[in-house]
Amino acid sequence: MLKQNIMKNLLIDAIPDSPYYPVINFDASTGICELIGESYMEEAYKFYTPLLNWLKEYSQELKNQVTLNIKLTYFNTNSSRLILDMLDILKKAIDDNVAVSINWYYDLDDPDIKEEIEDFEIETGLTINMIPFE
Amino acid sequence: MRGRLEFENNILYYHGMVNIDLISFISNYMKQQIDSNNSVHLKIYKVFIELTQNVSYYSADQQDSNRTFGSGKGWFSVDENNDSFIITTGNKILKEHGNILIKNSNEINLLNEEELRDLKRKTRSKAPIKDIGAHIGLIHTGLITSNKIDVRIGPIDDKYSFFTISAKVNKC
Repeated sequence: MLKQNIMKNLLIDAIPDSPYYPVINFDASTGICELIGESYMEEAYKFYTPLLNWLKEYSQELKNQVTLNIKLTYFNTNSSRLILDMLDILKKAIDDNVAVSINWYYDLDDPDIKEEIEDFEIETGLTINMIPFE
Repeated sequence: MRGRLEFENNILYYHGMVNIDLISFISNYMKQQIDSNNSVHLKIYKVFIELTQNVSYYSADQQDSNRTFGSGKGWFSVDENNDSFIITTGNKILKEHGNILIKNSNEINLLNEEELRDLKRKTRSKAPIKDIGAHIGLIHTGLITSNKIDVRIGPIDDKYSFFTISAKVNKC
């Protein structure tokens, strides 16, 4: 039995009246994990804790390879604290020889996002692939 | 309260309870109403959400008795000048928090971009994840605007003060 089969996908659909929650699609069969939209909800840790737990179990305990695709057009500073925790989990997995790829899709019109991503790289020691979208 | 002449350049003013749904609605409304390029829009959007969430979280006047934060009473405004947009928020705070806010903002205003980024990284990584904020809102605002933040504290009574913060987003 594949190790990832014991884990379920983690899916959170868009909430039209609450655009401050991102869409989440963590696929246990492929290891592709996506955050899409905007993230500025209250008490961000309550939203992100299941994501952190899923990533930790999938990558650190089961040692499955992960591709994290971040497609956030806006995230507030509180969310950035939790995104940092996600990246820290993946850094520990890499240090444990797990294959991890991190792709950050960013808006070319956003004048601050490249520095923001670079700050995450400096803080975590990770290499993040920066991919522009129009 | 603002005087009549102070509204000359005003494009938005609100006074009352500030919660996440109001912030979301108005920030998206502003995207359509403000005539500027996408880069400036994004900066206004980021600063507006960051500052208004501070009112929602940290106002000492919480309007929903079932909650300890997230429904703070205060005000916010957006003004347009020839060369910039000014986003301002105001809310009641505990008097003892005033000096800390002034001290923090004075320190932030002395730092250049690289020093601000360094402070942001150090502060963010130390913030407990269960805190409602990451303690980097003022730093982040300074970084996004590349301007000094204007923080003022006014007296209310023995227990409370009134806190206002203004951030300027340049048009180009």
